[in-house]
Amino acid sequence: MADAAVVDHDEVAPHAHIEHDTNTGISNTKLAMWLFLASECLLFGGLITTYLLYKTPLTIEQGPAPKQVYDIPFTSVSSFVLLMSSLTMVLAVAAIERGDHHRVRTWLAGTALLGSIFIAGQVYEFTVFKSEGMGYTTSRSSSAFYTLTGFHGVHVTVGIIMLISVLLLSLRGKIPEHRSETVETVGLYWHFVDVVWIVIFAVVYLIP
Amino acid sequence: MMETQSVESDRSKVISTGFLDGARRNYPREVEYVVVAIGLAIITGLEIATYAAPGFPLWHWDDKVGLVMFLLLLMAVKFWTVAYFFMHLRFDKPILTRAFYTGVLLALGVYVAVLAMLHGFIAGQH
Amino acid sequence: MALAEPGPLALPSGGPSDGFNPLGVLSRPVAPKAAWRKWLFTVDHKKIGIMYGAAAMFFFMIGGSEALLIRAQLWAPRGKLLSAELYNQVFTMHGTTMVFLVVMPIGAAFANYLMPLQIGARDVAFPRINAFSFWCFLGGALFLNSSWFFGGGADGGWFMYAPNSGVLFSPGHGIDFWNLALIITGIASLTGAVNLIVTVLNMRCPGMSLMRMPIFTWMTLVTQFLLLFAIPVLTAAQFLLMFDRLFRANFFNVKLGGNPLLWEHLFWVFGHPEVYLMILPAFGLVSEMLPVFSRKPIFGYPFIVFSGVAIGFMGWGVWAHHMFVSGIGPISVTTFALTTMFIAVPTGVKILNWTATMWGGKLTFTTPMLFSIGLVTMFTIGGLSGVTHSVAPADTQQTDTYYIVAHFHYVLFGGAFLGFMGGLYFYWPKLFGHMLNESLGKANFWLMLLGFNLTFGPMHILGLQGMSRRIYTYDAGYGFEIWNKIATIGAFTLASSVALFLFNVFYSRVKAKNLPNPGPDPWDARTIEWMIPSPVPEYNYDPVPTVTRVDDFWYRKYAETPDHRLVRVHTLEEVAQPGGATDVHLPSPSYWPIVAAFSLPIIAYGLIFTLWLCLVGGIILVTALFGWALEPPDAPGGDHGDHQGPDDESSAEGPAPDADADADAGATSDVAPDGAATEDEREVETVG
Repeated sequence: MADAAVVDHDEVAPHAHIEHDTNTGISNTKLAMWLFLASECLLFGGLITTYLLYKTPLTIEQGPAPKQVYDIPFTSVSSFVLLMSSLTMVLAVAAIERGDHHRVRTWLAGTALLGSIFIAGQVYEFTVFKSEGMGYTTSRSSSAFYTLTGFHGVHVTVGIIMLISVLLLSLRGKIPEHRSETVETVGLYWHFVDVVWIVIFAVVYLIP
Repeated sequence: MMETQSVESDRSKVISTGFLDGARRNYPREVEYVVVAIGLAIITGLEIATYAAPGFPLWHWDDKVGLVMFLLLLMAVKFWTVAYFFMHLRFDKPILTRAFYTGVLLALGVYVAVLAMLHGFIAGQH
Repeated sequence: MALAEPGPLALPSGGPSDGFNPLGVLSRPVAPKAAWRKWLFTVDHKKIGIMYGAAAMFFFMIGGSEALLIRAQLWAPRGKLLSAELYNQVFTMHGTTMVFLVVMPIGAAFANYLMPLQIGARDVAFPRINAFSFWCFLGGALFLNSSWFFGGGADGGWFMYAPNSGVLFSPGHGIDFWNLALIITGIASLTGAVNLIVTVLNMRCPGMSLMRMPIFTWMTLVTQFLLLFAIPVLTAAQFLLMFDRLFRANFFNVKLGGNPLLWEHLFWVFGHPEVYLMILPAFGLVSEMLPVFSRKPIFGYPFIVFSGVAIGFMGWGVWAHHMFVSGIGPISVTTFALTTMFIAVPTGVKILNWTATMWGGKLTFTTPMLFSIGLVTMFTIGGLSGVTHSVAPADTQQTDTYYIVAHFHYVLFGGAFLGFMGGLYFYWPKLFGHMLNESLGKANFWLMLLGFNLTFGPMHILGLQGMSRRIYTYDAGYGFEIWNKIATIGAFTLASSVALFLFNVFYSRVKAKNLPNPGPDPWDARTIEWMIPSPVPEYNYDPVPTVTRVDDFWYRKYAETPDHRLVRVHTLEEVAQPGGATDVHLPSPSYWPIVAAFSLPIIAYGLIFTLWLCLVGGIILVTALFGWALEPPDAPGGDHGDHQGPDDESSAEGPAPDADADADAGATSDVAPDGAATEDEREVETVG
């Protein structure tokens, strides 16, 4: 309609041409992803709460507490890597909206790579912790720690799979400019996963 | 469009289901994203400083309360920055912000209450 | 870096125009002929709604049988029918079945079938996810009940308190089945919630602002939001329990500091919104039926809407009233007692508005009306006992007794289930093209009302006399015998009323062959779903209507004179849609939802028995998800005609702005050369 939302349609504004008109003006997929992310807050909240409740070491425990085995410098680097992957992700979204397919693939690959480095770091961290005596069943705090970070890691891994899938689709020419919402939706998921890590890094690793 | 509406529709507003682009402001340019990312990196550096420079007096305000509040504040700033800039909440229609924040605030409210009831904020074993 | 040249631009739907199909030979069931294929691969919200309803009635029989076993066991002191262990399994499975496999799916059935019709849409936002939700639910439900064949059902109560639910106290597989089944049905509910919320927010017909939506749609919206946020909390708790039981984690290991209250909090943070999401759809249905049979608009439409939203919000602040005697301390108890008292207010608003709707109206006591009045009265009784629970000192006596059992059965059976029965009678003609027999329906109602009150009324007394719940028997000499006997008689009366309903279903179907079709609007109703033929054509509306006010359809038929008398201004033929359209595009059926859904129970069996099954299930799931993602939403050759733009004048193009029109024009020219299935193209675009 002629008097629709007043938005500049220069190259910077999004041009998500979707086939259906919607009442809110937002595509179904995007709205759905936001709703899903809102519900994920409740899921991770529950796991974070469990960790916070259980993190205090008990005298009865046989192994080290999480606090005693953390390698903050290493985790800081991991956190930094994941944060930068958010940047590459949003650059990928910006690129597809401009129609720059070459860049999209670069940034998508970069995001997937950084995400994989993060996961590799997590796996390494966990093996080190295990070798230092903190296994999954060692104590209530270790169970809580591994479950929380494990859930997050699984989410990151699913995100990497989605990124690689979108990258492959792009390589086959299946992501034209007016389907930028695919990249944007994956981007939303990826940023959320990063946001959850922001919370975990502060609450689990740094806060005493 | 308006002129061809039927008599019935004249009686009240027809809800517009107009052009779909989901934005109320322009999305940022790429250089702006990089600047934001650098800001996030700096904030992360500050967080790490609480660990790397343990002697800094702010961390010891009121035993550990200062440290906790500082870290939570930084965490909130990073959370908000990623949500607003990278996830485009600032630029998209407000309904997305409302939907997401409902989840965040509900989670915060409910779980803080649960932790309080389980004495999670009292130091010591529980 | 030499990258591949980009291929031909994809269709708007994302479908490959060069026939690229990475999963090879499995072609899509574009136009299934066999009836079973039509149902198995459907993505049509109406079929899915009917399947939800049928499945719910099936599990109602199972849960009802479990209830009859309980009542038979409790007929006399020291009953011998069920051992203590078996009794624990039966009452656990009864509760779990009724909550998760009956009441929630009936709500989903109505939401799926009715809500898109009420907002003038042609389907939900994500039809394949809708199908996936249903098959996921069914898989989880069957998986749960398969526990009976694998060593026994879960036995920790439907609330599954830890550490009683751990392997130490419950070493069999029953609880593992319970856990995994509910994670699976939770996935179904969550995906359904996202789907339906997006549908309501995004796919309303022109003119249907939020405050013009029918009340049932509003209640569905609130329900789906409750599901969206409550299910993840339960899922978190269940993963903790699962890891404890399967992988020896320490979440509820008391020796290593596990806190049983953690489970209680997580469960009830889910559990309380859960009970609101069970009742709200029934509230919505009653809000549709009462105005029709009072020939008056709903009293205080905004109040009904806002009280529903308020219940949704406030429901998050009352969960610990299930934990008054768990040692949470006086501050917590007082806080939650107050919040629980407050939440009676919005519910009271609804009761008032329903009563005021009937007041001064021209009442006709059809079966749906009887059931609606039944809900209002029985729920009020249940609500009153609920308010007595909110008084924490009184609850200290009432909790874990039959008084509580009476309360929640009054609100759940007397409330939700009676509402759903009314809804079935009301909407049966719309679904199936014939009415359910009125005389049998009235008999059904009265018998059900009698049986229900006989069963659960005495439980108030039993509870206050001190009979404990969740125990397999009781001793003589406490005065419990007479009330238990009455309750058991009531339960079997209730069962016979259900049998009467089933008889009515089959009887009416047979009789209908000789009766004329009741037409689109047998009840002279108010909302737009009554202007389309019965049964509803696959495309729902043609053209998509434009609404101008609440109860739009009513005011197409009637107008009010200045002295407030109703005058008929149009006959039904003038305002109803004739149906018979043949060129409406619809979303295509698909294999992947059902394949993906049934991989989940396979993974679940694997977690219990052997991890190899997990691998198998996982491979199937990943394959299905990729196949699904790479499959376009509609078969190639379809165009996207379901605009929500104003098109009461039924033009082929919607009011698409220029850019959209360009995209569409570009799409249609790309579509033509895809000659792979020209027959299918035409068939896809026909009805059915």
